[in-house]
Amino acid sequence: MKENIITINHLMKKFGDNEVLKDINFSVRKGDITSIIGASGSGKSTLLRCVNLLENPTGGEIFYKGENILSKKDESGYRTKVGMVFQNFNLFENMNVLKNCTIGQEKVLKVSKEEAENKAKFYLEKVGMLPYINAKPKQLSGGQKQRVAIVRALAMEPEVLLFDEPTSALDPQMVGEVLSVIKALAEEGFTMIIVTHEMQFAKDISNHVVFMHKGIILEEGTSDEIFVSPKCNETKEFLSRFISC
Amino acid sequence: MSLPQDFFGRIIFIIQNYGESLLKGAGTTLLIALVGTIIGCLIGFVVGIIQTIPVRKKDNLAKRIILKVLKLIMNIYVEVFRGTPMMVQAMFIYYGSAVLFEINMDMWFAAYFIVSINTGAYMAETVRGGILSVSDGQTEGAKAIGMNHFQTMLYVILPQAIRNIMPQIGNNLIINIKDTCVLSVIGTVELFFATKSVAGTYYTFFEAYTITMVMYLCMTVFFSKLLRVFESKLNGPEDYSLATTDTLAYTSGLLKYPSKKGVD
Repeated sequence: MKENIITINHLMKKFGDNEVLKDINFSVRKGDITSIIGASGSGKSTLLRCVNLLENPTGGEIFYKGENILSKKDESGYRTKVGMVFQNFNLFENMNVLKNCTIGQEKVLKVSKEEAENKAKFYLEKVGMLPYINAKPKQLSGGQKQRVAIVRALAMEPEVLLFDEPTSALDPQMVGEVLSVIKALAEEGFTMIIVTHEMQFAKDISNHVVFMHKGIILEEGTSDEIFVSPKCNETKEFLSRFISC
Repeated sequence: MSLPQDFFGRIIFIIQNYGESLLKGAGTTLLIALVGTIIGCLIGFVVGIIQTIPVRKKDNLAKRIILKVLKLIMNIYVEVFRGTPMMVQAMFIYYGSAVLFEINMDMWFAAYFIVSINTGAYMAETVRGGILSVSDGQTEGAKAIGMNHFQTMLYVILPQAIRNIMPQIGNNLIINIKDTCVLSVIGTVELFFATKSVAGTYYTFFEAYTITMVMYLCMTVFFSKLLRVFESKLNGPEDYSLATTDTLAYTSGLLKYPSKKGVD
């Protein structure tokens, strides 16, 4: 049994009176590829944003390696361990590709410039973005931006990678290039939590699937348990809309 | 010295005899406007940044109280100096300081002080707007790699905010070039003051002010063009060079490719 890297207990999040997350419990083990699926508005993204503390949960606990991160003061230190990739890339518009991937290492991890650039280039090459180190984000296509954003997160050498609908803003061709990068990372054994609408991808890549419905986890299990033999009617209905599954 | 009868003759007469004092006045105008704008920008940045520091429930009480008080003081500052005419402020500060606090303020100091503090009030709002204009995603991106509020501001938000507010900074400089003329009420010999003296000596109001109009216009047009050039510098190059895929070739140079227009 591998150790739990992230454990979530009774997590709640309200926006005003709107209860987006109700009593969420689940855990992620080291090396797990967890996919969170469900309809829009089911709270998937909010859950992921809570894990990275971009949203402050209203209640509950989030443990990272046994430590409750909600009671900790040092958000920055924790965030360097948990990398996040956004739907809208959120690359720094005022920096070129290389700087986007080195600024965090240099300023937060206090790595030397040379070391930071070497690491950034190493990962940029992996995702095929090395030729574009001098380009500004606005000069890149969506798929290229997302690959750079993945490198920006990777360069911090995080223990867990969070993907918040990484392909939702991309056209089908670009979706492929980004998914193949994520797949390659999965094969290298990175621990990942992925919120996605790409069902085939989720089915292929993940060993742990969480189905969310109206702010609660309705069903979770292995890829086969959820995709091949789902128990809940809501899960069946949701998956039936993706014919290819 | 006899005054020529025709318009252009009189203009030349004024330039020959009083050109130097007018130029000196223009120099003073520019100096006050530039220094005032620069210091005003600095004030604006400090105030604007403090006003955008988020107050969270998590923070301890002392920090929250200090921030609240600071923000209140700065709001009052902005409202007072933005909400009253600079000419009235000049009289109030220069003469008022003498009466109220028995401070004999140096006229030059007062001039710089008034323009700076006035610009600061406007810039505070401009900077705040500039910071708000940068999308939340940029802040989230910075936070997600572990940057704190200060780092996020310094490396990510402010560089973009400054680019966005450059036109407004230029606007302020141009307004200052023109508005320093109100300092004549406290006896600052800038371009307007100098012109008044020249015009009054020979009753050549139209001619003297024609020259001054042209001088003001030259200054403002020059600086608006200069700021445009500076702005495009800030934008960076349109093109980017594609690095070769050969990792060993990093140091041996980069290939130049035209930008991919329309790909976004």
